[in-house]
Amino acid sequence: MRGKSLKAAVATAAVALIAAGCTSTPEPETPSDTGGELRIYASEPASLFPPMADDNPSIVVIRQIYKGLVEYDTKGAPVNVIADSITSSDNKVWTIKLKSGFKFTNDEPVTADSFINAWNFTAYGPNAATNSYFLSNIGGYDALQSKDPDGDGPKTAPEPAAKTLSGLKKIDDTTFEVTLTKAFSGFPAQVGYSGYFPVAKACLDDVKACTEKPIGNGAYKIEGSWEHNVQVKLSRNDAYTASKGKADTLVFKIYDKQETGYADFKAGELDIFEAVPSAEVKAAMAQYGERFFQKPSNNFTYVGLPLYDARFQDKKIRQALSLAIDRQAIIDAVFDGRFSAAQGVVSPNFLGYRDGACANCKYDPVKAKSLLDEAGGWKGGKIVLWANAGAGHEKWMQAVGDGWKKDLGIDYELNTSLQFPEYLAKGDQKKFDGPFRLGWGPDYPWFETYLAPLYGTGGSSNNSGYTNPAFDQLVEQGNGAKTQDEGIKFYQQAEDVIVDDLPVIPMWFGKVSDVYSENVKTFVFNPISGVEYDKVVLNPAK
Amino acid sequence: MGRYVIRRLLQFIPTVLGTLFLLHYLTSVGMQLTGNPVRALFGDKTPPKSTLDAITRALHLDDPCLKQPGNPCFNLFFQRIGVAKVNGHFDGYLQGNFGTDLHFRAVTEIVGDAMPFTLKITLIAFLVEAIVGILAGVLAGTRSGGFMDYFVKISTVLVISVPVFVLGLLIQEYVGVQFGNWLRGMSWVPEWISRGMFGAAYKRDYPFASLMLPGVVLGLLGLATTARLTRTSVQENLRADFVRTARAKGLTTKRVIGVHTLRNSLIPVVTNLGLSLAVYLTGAIVTEGIFNVPGIGNKIGRAIFQGESVVLIGITTMLVLAYLSITLLVDLLYAVLDPRIRYE
Repeated sequence: MRGKSLKAAVATAAVALIAAGCTSTPEPETPSDTGGELRIYASEPASLFPPMADDNPSIVVIRQIYKGLVEYDTKGAPVNVIADSITSSDNKVWTIKLKSGFKFTNDEPVTADSFINAWNFTAYGPNAATNSYFLSNIGGYDALQSKDPDGDGPKTAPEPAAKTLSGLKKIDDTTFEVTLTKAFSGFPAQVGYSGYFPVAKACLDDVKACTEKPIGNGAYKIEGSWEHNVQVKLSRNDAYTASKGKADTLVFKIYDKQETGYADFKAGELDIFEAVPSAEVKAAMAQYGERFFQKPSNNFTYVGLPLYDARFQDKKIRQALSLAIDRQAIIDAVFDGRFSAAQGVVSPNFLGYRDGACANCKYDPVKAKSLLDEAGGWKGGKIVLWANAGAGHEKWMQAVGDGWKKDLGIDYELNTSLQFPEYLAKGDQKKFDGPFRLGWGPDYPWFETYLAPLYGTGGSSNNSGYTNPAFDQLVEQGNGAKTQDEGIKFYQQAEDVIVDDLPVIPMWFGKVSDVYSENVKTFVFNPISGVEYDKVVLNPAK
Repeated sequence: MGRYVIRRLLQFIPTVLGTLFLLHYLTSVGMQLTGNPVRALFGDKTPPKSTLDAITRALHLDDPCLKQPGNPCFNLFFQRIGVAKVNGHFDGYLQGNFGTDLHFRAVTEIVGDAMPFTLKITLIAFLVEAIVGILAGVLAGTRSGGFMDYFVKISTVLVISVPVFVLGLLIQEYVGVQFGNWLRGMSWVPEWISRGMFGAAYKRDYPFASLMLPGVVLGLLGLATTARLTRTSVQENLRADFVRTARAKGLTTKRVIGVHTLRNSLIPVVTNLGLSLAVYLTGAIVTEGIFNVPGIGNKIGRAIFQGESVVLIGITTMLVLAYLSITLLVDLLYAVLDPRIRYE
């Protein structure tokens, strides 16, 4: 039934488009631009309550239900939505002015308190919010955390010293002031992350109810409540005053397995399918043609080097190891070309990205060998390559090892015995005795997010134990810069330090592989926040 | 009879406690060896210690025994059952608290959501197995050496030798997607058939029709055994004295087979059918996974994969209780089928 009406719909749409092309007057939104039900592939969210959700399936849905201070344009620059302005003279004290007129679906207005209360809730340790640490750069964060009395035990932890962040100050209903512990030029970009979204007062009074049936302020509102493992159905929120959603309803159909979801897409049950299973990519490309969409993503995969291990302390050895990896060959052989080889340590989608930033990331076995000889050769015996068990990393890690064996004559051994939690804990404790696989994805589009956490002294995910005052200094200068362009110059210099020093070996960035059905007229993709479901236009159904 | 039931019910207590402790011990050792599951929530990103600690504490996973490999964590076990205090009060299974998953959702809620789907799919599977299995068995048994007999024998071998996940995936691709797509192209086929019955996954809009395919796949698990068992049993009973007597009395074939033979032949079959119900629960992990049925099997599969030990223990404990009740019911059914059996 759907198939027949489709052809007609496509034809009408085509005619309409041609007609639109002929007339030069800007057309108002035609009725055919809105309407219909958009059926989307989804996984079970962890939570629909912004402070508690830091996983992708949750964020995708939350972005439709809630709106934050800013959104991102296709280049990754923050664009004000709820915020009227976010300003600072020193990048440390930020004044946020809100637009008025935004409301939660329970008619509660979105005010400064909606943000302040939400952020205080998230930061307060005993609430155990997964997004808590995102607020750690706001003044007074530490006072909201409680310390375990005996360091390691089931004894009741004491109440934290404070209940509210001292760095948050309400000026009036539409203005508040945020004081950071350190200057950070990326703050306006950071607040676009869903962990900073406003929350209605009614939600904080009953978090559980609000998780199941969110009270949002976005373009869509929930219909019924979250049907766990089945679906989340949203309908357009007519009270939302900014850009309204196009489709009447968004149905996030929840699948446990990607393969099943894809089978359902093939059976005509879904309109947008994100992340086509790797085994199906080639067939999908051939079958769906233009409706197969591929773009670089921001997911960064690297091989960390344990700098706390004497064998990896010589920079030349690290460079030799990096130069002896043929990234493109591995991508083609193991992943059907579904990744883009890293040319630096920052996503190709980010402002300030430079092609070929990393001279040591090319495949150059001759130079690799000579660098290794300069460093006095490899005397460390067998290298142990680490990856977590059962996640499919064996093949490519083996390819990396084979390259080192062939080009540098270094023997290796693979260790994929550890389950994920144990593997991560070993990394946190800096106990790997060889190179280890890890990844990184940004939460907000700012150059710094690929640098400070991974390589900064004491950085949260600095598993290689790298420390370099010159690098820290450059990042700090970027954080304190007056304008974004000025900041990027410092960040780029910091990246240059990293790609020369190579505390980690950059491997590749992911690629988004999406397909959409014939029901979709316009597919809208944002390189930072993914598919913009509220802007996707459907063909009119018969 | 009443005393028998009470005795059987009392046997539940040590069985459930034993199972519970075993599960508790295995998952505790699992955690001691593989580390704090909360850490994996954050993936490749390292959360600060304060956040990690706060969530671990809120989930009651901060007992130091969970870091000592081999420690049976007796205290945690007693807390879980509800006979030892947590933060000054009792809060465990006895108090109706089965814990929460890593996202603070109560296990009882999770089971409450999932149970209706599993009951439906089990019902379908059971009907398929019982009706098709017994019918095939009787046909094969009464026509020993004939075409039907060989047909049943060969087809059951085929079904039993293909692993359920292969069968599931094949049926999903060829019946659900390809045959289904062909059906969906026909305008005269009603939607509940073309989209409901023949689809790749469970659909909310067709709560029963879309469970047919996964239900059949699940039923096929035990179908072969049921058919074979019925066939042998019928063949044996056809040669029994009481059947010969019934025939000699001049009863119709229908009555001889339908009442006299079948009733006696069904005793082993009923046991098998009852146990099938338990087998479904394990089969459901695979089948529900493939067809995206949001039931108990799906939940168990995910709990194993994500190291959600609390969910796993909670659900399994409830399943053990269900299993024990089913076996009790099967034992009681014996008496109905075979008057010689007495429970005293």
